[in-house]
Amino acid sequence: MIKQFLSKLPRKNPKPDSPTTFSSPLITEPSISGRRTSSAVFPANFDPLSSLKEAPASEKQSLLISKLNLCTLISHSSNSQPLNETDQELRHQTLIEILDFVNLGSCKFNEQVMEALCNMISAHIFRVLPPSIRSSTVFSPQSAMDIDEDEPAMDPAWPYLQIVYDLLLKFVASSNTDPKAVKKYLDHSFVFRLLELFDSEDPREREALKKILHRIYGKFMVHRPFIRKTVSNIFYRFVFETERHNGIAELLEVLGSIISGFALPLKEEHKMFLVRALIPLHKAKNIGAYLQQLSFSVIQFVEKEPKLAGTVITGLLKYWPATNSQKEVMFLGELEEVLEVTNGVEFQRIMVPLCRRIALCINSSHFQVAERALFLWNNEHIVSLIAQNRQVILTLVYQALERNTRSHWNQAVLNLTLNVRKMFSEMDEELFQMFQSNYEEEEAKAKGVEEKRRLTWERLEAAAKSGPSDPAKNTAVLVTPLIICTPLC
Amino acid sequence: MVEELFSGLPNLERLENFMAMVDEPLYPIAILIDELKNEDLQLRLNSIRRLSTIARALGEERTRKELIPFLSENNDDDDEVLVAMAEELGVFIPYVGGVEHAHVLLPPLETLCTVEETFVREKSVESLCRIGVQMKESDQVDWFIPLVKRLAAGEWFTARVSACGLFHIAYPSAPEQLKAELRSIYTQLCQDDMPMVRRAAATNLSKFAPTVEPSYLKTDIMTIFEDLTHDDQDSVRLLAVEGCAALGKLLEPLDCIAHILPVIVNFSQDKSWRVRYMVANQLYELCEAVGPESTRVELVPAYVRLLRDNEAEVRIAAAGKVTKFCRILNPQLAIQHILPCVKELSSDSSQHVRSALASVIMGMAPILGKDATIELLLPIFLSLLKDEFPDVRLNIISKLDQVNQVIGIDLLSQSLLPAIVELAEDRHWRVRLAIIEYIPLLASQLGVGFFDDKLGALCMQWLEDQVFSIRDAAATNLKRLAEEFGPEWAMQHIIPQVLEKINSTHYLQRITILHTIYLLAPVLGSEITSQSLLPVVVNTTKDRVPNVKFNAAKVLRSLIPILDQSVVEQRVHPCLVDLYEDPDVDVRFFSGLALEVCEQVKLS
Repeated sequence: MIKQFLSKLPRKNPKPDSPTTFSSPLITEPSISGRRTSSAVFPANFDPLSSLKEAPASEKQSLLISKLNLCTLISHSSNSQPLNETDQELRHQTLIEILDFVNLGSCKFNEQVMEALCNMISAHIFRVLPPSIRSSTVFSPQSAMDIDEDEPAMDPAWPYLQIVYDLLLKFVASSNTDPKAVKKYLDHSFVFRLLELFDSEDPREREALKKILHRIYGKFMVHRPFIRKTVSNIFYRFVFETERHNGIAELLEVLGSIISGFALPLKEEHKMFLVRALIPLHKAKNIGAYLQQLSFSVIQFVEKEPKLAGTVITGLLKYWPATNSQKEVMFLGELEEVLEVTNGVEFQRIMVPLCRRIALCINSSHFQVAERALFLWNNEHIVSLIAQNRQVILTLVYQALERNTRSHWNQAVLNLTLNVRKMFSEMDEELFQMFQSNYEEEEAKAKGVEEKRRLTWERLEAAAKSGPSDPAKNTAVLVTPLIICTPLC
Repeated sequence: MVEELFSGLPNLERLENFMAMVDEPLYPIAILIDELKNEDLQLRLNSIRRLSTIARALGEERTRKELIPFLSENNDDDDEVLVAMAEELGVFIPYVGGVEHAHVLLPPLETLCTVEETFVREKSVESLCRIGVQMKESDQVDWFIPLVKRLAAGEWFTARVSACGLFHIAYPSAPEQLKAELRSIYTQLCQDDMPMVRRAAATNLSKFAPTVEPSYLKTDIMTIFEDLTHDDQDSVRLLAVEGCAALGKLLEPLDCIAHILPVIVNFSQDKSWRVRYMVANQLYELCEAVGPESTRVELVPAYVRLLRDNEAEVRIAAAGKVTKFCRILNPQLAIQHILPCVKELSSDSSQHVRSALASVIMGMAPILGKDATIELLLPIFLSLLKDEFPDVRLNIISKLDQVNQVIGIDLLSQSLLPAIVELAEDRHWRVRLAIIEYIPLLASQLGVGFFDDKLGALCMQWLEDQVFSIRDAAATNLKRLAEEFGPEWAMQHIIPQVLEKINSTHYLQRITILHTIYLLAPVLGSEITSQSLLPVVVNTTKDRVPNVKFNAAKVLRSLIPILDQSVVEQRVHPCLVDLYEDPDVDVRFFSGLALEVCEQVKLS
C-alpha cells in the first residue's frame, strides 16, 4: 500500500528518502489492502515517511500535515477490513513521531494543521463502539457466569488510541491556537461524537475523554450550552430508557467541576439541570457506579444555593429504593452529606416527610440500613437540627425507636437505638417522658384506625352497590343482607 | 358487608363500632382525600385501586363534577400510585356516564402524560387511546385532538413523547384541514431537538402511518421516514428500521421498491452495528413486500453481507433468521447464495453465532428437499453435533424431528449417540436437564430399538444424579417414555431397574424412586401397580428415615384412586394405620391425609 502512495508522490526533495527508510521491512512487504488515493492528500507533496526531526524548519509544518493525512488514511474506519500488521506498525510509528513533535512545543497549529489533525483524530476515535459483552443479546447461563462484572473490558486497540487521545488533549490544551479558528474544526458535531464515546467500556478511554471534555468546556464558551444539553440527553436516555451507560461517573466528574464554577446567583437553567437531569439519576439501579460523583455535584448546588436543599431531599425521597437495601444505605449516606449543608429553615420545610422515611429505615430488618439511619445522630450538625425541632421529630420517630428497643433482632442496632433514645431524653427529659407514657395508647389507637378504615370502605362498597349516596338507600342496604344472613346467625 | 360482619365469631365491639359509624354520614370524596393523604404508600395504592367504588357511591354526575377534578389536581404522588391512577382512568367511562361524557377523563390523564416516569406516561397514553377510540367523532375533534396538540407543543420532552403515541387515534376523525396540521406536527416531532422525542416518533410511525391516506403516505410520511433514516443517532435510525417493514406493507410494491428498498439496503451497511442488527432481524419481512425479483437482486446480497458481518452480534441475528429467509426464496437461490454462508457460520468463531444457527438450521431441510439436505446440509448438521459448545448440540437435537421427516434419522444416528451421551454427562446441570427434556422426543423419532440399546441406561443413570432437578426430570422422563411406548414395554425395560434402586443406601435415592412410582402408576394402570409397584411402596413405609416414610404415605394416597377397592382395604389401609402411629409428626400428618382419602373412597 505504501508503495502505491509513494509511487504517486512526485518527490520534491529526494534527500529525505534515505535508503534506510525504503529498505525498512515496513515497505518491502506488499500490503494487501489496496486503497486508492491521490496526491492531493499530501498538500505539499512531502513524503510522509521522512523524519520530522531531520526536516528543515521551513518544511516541518508541511511534512506534519502529510504525516497526519497518512494516518487518516490508515484508520480502521476507512475500511471495514481489519488492518494488516504492516499498516498497524506504520500507523503506530507515525503517530508516535507526530506526538513527539507536538510535545516539543515547536508545533504551530495553523489552519491546515488543525484541519488535518482533526480529520485524523475523527477517523481514529469516532467509531461505533462494539457490543458490550454484558449487554449481549444472547444470554446463556454459562456465559453470563463466566463474565466477571468487576473486570473492566480493555480495548485491544488502546495502545495506539492512546496516542491519538494524547494528541487531541495536547491540541485542545495548547495555548498556541486561535480559539476562533479551532471552532471551525472542533464543532458541535465533533463534540457530540466525543460525548458519545463516553459509553466506551475501557476505563482508560473514558479517563482520556474526561480530561479532554474538561478542557473543551473550559476553553470554548460556545460549546458550553451544547455540552450541557447533550450530557442531559445522555442522562435522560440512561435514566428513562436504557439504564445502561458506562461513562456516567466520568461525565458527572466533569460536571462536578463545571458546577463548582457556576456564578452566583445560579441561573434558572442550571437549577433546571439539577432537577431534571441530576436528581433523576438516583433512580437507576446501578447508582453505586457513580454515586460519589453525583453526590459531589448535588452538594455543589446546595452549597451555592441553600434553598435547593429541600429540592434535593424531596428528590431523594421520591427515588428512595423500595427493596434494594444496599442502595438504601447509599441514599442514607448521601442524605447525611446533604443535611450537613442544609440550614435550619430549609430543614424545617422537609423534615416531616424526611423523618417519616428515616423512621422506616430505623425499623428496617436489614441491620445495615437501620444502623446507617441511626448513625445520622452521630453528626453534630444534624443533631442540632433535630434538637431545634425535637417536638415534631420525636412524634415521627419515637414509635420506630420504641419498636426497635422491643424487638430488633440485631444487637448493634439495638445499642444504637438505645443511644439515640438516651440522646433524646437528655435533650428534653419532660417531652421524652410524655412520649414514653403515650406509646401504648398510640399503638392501640393505630389499630383502631385500621379497623375503622376497613369498616369505612365496607360501607362505601355497600353504598356503591346501591348507587349514588343517598341516606335513604343506605339504610336499605343494611336491611337486606341482615335478612339473608339471619339464619346463619 | 353485613354478612361479613356476622360471619365467624360475633364480635360485639366490632358491631358497636359499626353501628356507631352507620349513623355518621358518608362522604366518599372525603374518604378518598383522607386516604390519599396517608403516609403509607400501600394504603394510597389501595384507595386508588378502589376508585370505581368511590365513583359508584358518588354517582355519575358527582363523579364528573367532583371526583375527576379532584384527581386532576392531586397527582403529585408516588409513581406507583400514578400508574394505578392512569390505569383506572382508562376504564372509567361507565362511571362518568358513558361515552358522551368520556372527555371529562382527559384532563387528569393529560397531566399524567407529562410526568417524568416512563411507566406512568406509557400507561396514561394507553388509557387515553382506549378512551379516544370510544369517543364520538365530534367529541374527538373538540377534546381529544386539542389535547394531542397541546402535548405535542409541550415545553418538556415528556409531553411531546406522549403526544407521539396518540396521533393514530386522533388522526382518522379529524377534518381535512386539521389532518394536514396533525401531519405537520408529526413531522416536527420527528425533527425534535431531543432524541427522546425523535425516538418516540420513530417508534409510533408504524402505528400512525396506516391511518394516513395513501396519497399522503407517499409524500408526507415518506419524507418523515427518510428524515428519520438519516438521523445522526443510531438509536433513532434503528427504530426507523422497524418502520421499514410496516411501511413496506402499506405501500404498493413499486413504491416500496422505489422508497423502502434503497433505505434498507443502506441500513444493511450502516456504520452502527445496532442498526445492522435490526436489519438482520427484520429483513425477511421485507422480502414479501418487494417481491421476488428485487429480493433476488437486492435483498439476497444484503442478507449475505449481514451473514458475513464483522460484528458477531449481527451474525447472530442474521443466522437466527436463515430458515425464515430461505423459506421465501426458491431452493435454487438458497443453495446458491445462502448455503455457502451457512457453512461458514457453522464454524464461526463465536459460539453464540453457531448456537443461533443450530437452533434454526434443521428447519432448512424441508425447504431444500431430500437430496440437497443429504448432500449439503447433513455435513453441517454433523459438524454442529460435534461442536464444543453444548448449547449448539442441544439446539440441533431439539429440532431433530424436522430433519427426520425429510431424510430419516438413520444418517444422523451414528453421530447423534456420542453427542447425547456427552451432553448427558455435561458438568453443567442445566445442560443435562435440557437433554433429558428432549429424550421423549428422541425416543419417538429414533424408535424403540435404538432407545433400548443406547439410551435406556442413561435414563436410569439420571435417577442417581447429584442435582435434585435432574432426578426430578429423570422421573418425569420415565413417565413420558412409558406413555410413548406403553405399559408392557415399561414393565420390561423400566420397572425392574427402577424398583431395584429402592435398595439404595441413600435416603434421597429412595425418595426419588417413590416419586418415580408416583408418576408411573397412573400410566401403568391398576394391575401392574398393585402387582409390582405397591409391594415396594409398602416396604418403604417401614423405612428407618421418617422422610422416606411420609413420602411413602404421600404416594400411597395417590395410589388409592388407581387401585381396586379390595386392594386398598387389604394392603394400603393397614399400612397407613401403622404409619399413623409413627412417632414422627410429619409421617402422622401425611398418613392422616391418606387415610382421609381412604375413607372418602369407601363412602363413595
